[in-house]
Amino acid sequence: MLQLEHYKYDAARCVGCKGCVWVDHIYMPGVQFGMKCPSAACYLFDSYAPYGRMKIALAVMEGRLPYSDKLADIVYSCTMCGACDAGCKRNLDLEPLLLLEAFRQRCVAQGYILPQHRAVAERIRATHNYFGRSHEDRARWWPEDVKKTGRGKGDVLYFTGCSSSYVHKEISQSIIRLLQKAKIAVTHLGSEEWCCGYSLVTTGQVEEARHVAVHNIEAALKSGAGTILVGCAECYKTWKVEYPKLLGKSTADMGYQVVHASEYLAGLVQDGTLAPGHAVPMKVTYHDPCNLGRLSEPWTHWEGTRGRFGTLQPPKEYRRGTYGVYEPPRQILNNIPGIELVDMPRHRENAWCCGFGGGVRDAFPQLAGWAAGERVTEAQSVGAEAIVSGCPWCKAGMQQAVRESRSPVEVLDVVEVLARAVLGRVG
Amino acid sequence: MSLAPEVYDALEAVVGSRYITQDPVDCEAYSGSRGGHGKDLGMERVLCQPPAAVVLPGSTREVQDVVRICNRYQIPFVPVSSYWVTHCAPRVPEALLIDLKRLNSLEIDDRHMFAVVGPGVIYSQLLEEAMRRGLYTTTPGGGSQASVVANHLTCGFSPLNYRTGFAERRILGLEWVAPDGELVRMGSLAMQDDPFWGEGIGPDLRGVLRGYIGWYGGMGIVTRMAVKLIPFQPERLVPSGISPETALEFPANRIRWFNITFPTREDLVEAMYSIARNEIGAAVTKVPVFWRYIARAKSKEHFWEMWEAPGKEEEIKNSHILRVLLVGYTSEKHLEYEIRVLEDIVKDLGGQFRPTKQSDESWLKNADSVGMWWMTGGYASIEYTIDTLDCGVRGGEYLAELKTQCTPPLMPDYGDPGWFQMGELGHVGYLEFLTYFDPEDSEDNIHKVDEWYYVTGPKKDIEIGLYNGFTLQESPVYLSGPAYGPNFHLWMDRLKGAYDPRRISNPPWPADVDEVIEKVDWLERDW
Ligand SMILES: Cc1cc2nc3c(=O)[nH]c(=O)nc-3n(C[C@H](O)[C@H](O)[C@H](O)COP(=O)(O)OP(=O)(O)OC[C@H]3O[C@@H](n4cnc5c(N)ncnc54)[C@H](O)[C@@H]3O)c2cc1C
Ligand code: SF4
Ligand code: SF4
Repeated sequence: MLQLEHYKYDAARCVGCKGCVWVDHIYMPGVQFGMKCPSAACYLFDSYAPYGRMKIALAVMEGRLPYSDKLADIVYSCTMCGACDAGCKRNLDLEPLLLLEAFRQRCVAQGYILPQHRAVAERIRATHNYFGRSHEDRARWWPEDVKKTGRGKGDVLYFTGCSSSYVHKEISQSIIRLLQKAKIAVTHLGSEEWCCGYSLVTTGQVEEARHVAVHNIEAALKSGAGTILVGCAECYKTWKVEYPKLLGKSTADMGYQVVHASEYLAGLVQDGTLAPGHAVPMKVTYHDPCNLGRLSEPWTHWEGTRGRFGTLQPPKEYRRGTYGVYEPPRQILNNIPGIELVDMPRHRENAWCCGFGGGVRDAFPQLAGWAAGERVTEAQSVGAEAIVSGCPWCKAGMQQAVRESRSPVEVLDVVEVLARAVLGRVG
Repeated sequence: MSLAPEVYDALEAVVGSRYITQDPVDCEAYSGSRGGHGKDLGMERVLCQPPAAVVLPGSTREVQDVVRICNRYQIPFVPVSSYWVTHCAPRVPEALLIDLKRLNSLEIDDRHMFAVVGPGVIYSQLLEEAMRRGLYTTTPGGGSQASVVANHLTCGFSPLNYRTGFAERRILGLEWVAPDGELVRMGSLAMQDDPFWGEGIGPDLRGVLRGYIGWYGGMGIVTRMAVKLIPFQPERLVPSGISPETALEFPANRIRWFNITFPTREDLVEAMYSIARNEIGAAVTKVPVFWRYIARAKSKEHFWEMWEAPGKEEEIKNSHILRVLLVGYTSEKHLEYEIRVLEDIVKDLGGQFRPTKQSDESWLKNADSVGMWWMTGGYASIEYTIDTLDCGVRGGEYLAELKTQCTPPLMPDYGDPGWFQMGELGHVGYLEFLTYFDPEDSEDNIHKVDEWYYVTGPKKDIEIGLYNGFTLQESPVYLSGPAYGPNFHLWMDRLKGAYDPRRISNPPWPADVDEVIEKVDWLERDW
């Protein structure tokens, strides 16, 4: 469990520069699309911005503010997208996102957990999936005509995740068909696959999260596959960053490697194994999922002390969002004939979150819908016919916004687009 | 702390329930300890406190109505545009914080080269729009996150002032809600909805509203301002890189940075004069040496490893680096000409060109200003002076000498005389003298920093006759006022009384430092 007090220095040393809410000034597009924190942009009061939450956290730590429903509302109406974190770390060595995570864990410990988040935890406990659907149906997405390699037979373990197992099967099916085409032996956990636990860990429910982490890791290691391939950004970050964090380890010491489908498939396109022969004539823009982009750098466990001028002993590896998975999905799209790829004003580490992460889709649907709607508007502003992403949750959020705003924009996953180009079909 | 129900209701009726709060959790987010100069020093620790309520007005009309309500009920108010400097935090109980971020309209008149901005617009937003039209303005050293309106009302200093002039000269027509709630349209805005002209035909009260350093919220609220833009070169500066290494790439045919080392400080200063006499350059500046180390460091620890390496002290003492930005404003040939002139000057004075990146993250769109806090976590500029360059350089040397007596607790900077630069094509010089400390230091040491900042530095200015722009902002006005004025503090007081008879616009400005000194026992008032 993260200790809020470990981040007291960070809360106290926030200088109010708002690097956490403005798009990096170098990339600043203007007044429209100038902000990158959905929570601050939606609610406007500083209490809903990272620097405001820092102040509030400090007051709580110093015993000047009691826990209250309002406090929980502020702590949870944030998508945990990490735009603030990358922005802050452009110039400083502070940890606004870890502070928020610790704050949520503290709220849970104090009994301030939102009922919607508790309900998610109950569903996961009972059914091992986010939706509360039958666990038996979890692996039903697997296309009947694709041969199963079964457990222990492949180097690559495909961890499907809840969304692509139950809802966005076009993503899981596209992945598996592309891998089959490339003759990659793939292992799947079948009924041993449980929800990755993203929704638990991001809402501060660490005990429940640790329980699923231990189960999934054990199952994955038993399969013998050294590489865990995921098509979901939430699963990606959870396996790569949260599991080690929950277990007090570093990513490098976990005994497995996590790759996102876009990284893996970009390699196969690059080396010619997969040939995108079918043209997909379309102007598209790529939406960087937060958990695949700025939040996906490996976790390095750190213990130490702070000394003079706030220096750390030993020095710490900061995750600044520099080495996120930004290019592979773009490489895939750029290799597809007919595709014209344009970036939105806010991209890569400055990307605007789809609004569906951090437990917001469950507890603050209005914020989630508003943020997704903003992203759709931004895609339209660059003339995109489709928004392509690398996460089923982003897809769900933006599809909902498209439906609500009756926008003509299509929302697709990068693997679907690749499947169209390589296989001439999706799913 | 909360407002009386009738006050709250009246305010709510103006802005709507979505844009008002007095919840203590919301108000805590606006409490003092963030932002800018002197964070964690006396003013903040002793005076700053959360507001009783916060409103987010959406129009000039709403601002005016809010200010009138404050007058009616004698509620102190603090305007906030970006909340980047400390003076935004209320320093009296039961204050209303007026957060202006919703006033974020931005229009540019390309033909007449000015922009009309609301207080919620920040510099990088204005610059992006301006540069697309071949225009630009300065970004303050404080960073592109500063509000264009607030910065024009208070500071407006940047190396680019060398070519563009200072911000007070670039204010055109504007809309001002005076402290008593009266709406004043200044300049041509008084006659028609066109703020292109600052001097006339309507009233020109810019001297009252801004003067040398402004009122930091103590003189009502500007809700809309036209600011002059300056012609730039036409090529696009392409953004590149991923955080933290992002920068604007220079078009090689139009813009170039030069880093030049000189054998002595005298040679460096002579080079600055010579550059200005020849009227070349877009910026001519000597920055504090530690900024160069910040730019190279990968982390705070890495900075300290480099800064405290054996032999560094000597090396830094003897380092005289001038940074010059040349822009081919009118043509490529313009740039080529300026390069040739610069080469001649450097050769004559025995300088040497050093390698430097041909990109920028610090001045054209200042994205890295916050790195100033990186190395220690606590920072305060003790001085900024606009005078002759000689005055700036000598002032910096005096202060550097004085600083050694207060180091530690101040961060060791090996006698660096601060940041000095040319302004207005050499007609003025600018000095900013920076001070770093550890805000987590013992209480005793923080008190020593307070003393250095609020008393020792200002007294030294008076002793050596250095006119300090921070006189008002960060030092006791009843110490500096009589010394500079001699009745400067009395005029401030009279102006305040005339325009803000109820004294509700951001009190106790301009005497907040005096109030800190009054309240604490570790600072002695002997004037
Ligand atoms: C580390 C640091 C370095 C800096 N270096 C420089 C520099 O090199 N050059 C430079 O020019 N500036 C510099 N500044 C100052 C910075 O640019 C100021 O913060 C700026 O001038 C004020 O703008 P703001 O966005 O901070 O305004 P705010 O923080 O919103 O407000 C500043 C003050 O103005 C008042 N105010 C705000 N809006 C209005 C309004 N609409 N009407 C009336 N009063 C208002 C507030 O009450 C407050 O007292 C620096 C600041 C910091 C923190
Ligand atoms: S970027 Fe960091 S230091 Fe700046 S306001 Fe945000 S949290 Fe505070
Ligand atoms: S995580 Fe995202 S939504 Fe939350 S405070 Fe940071 S930028 Fe805002």
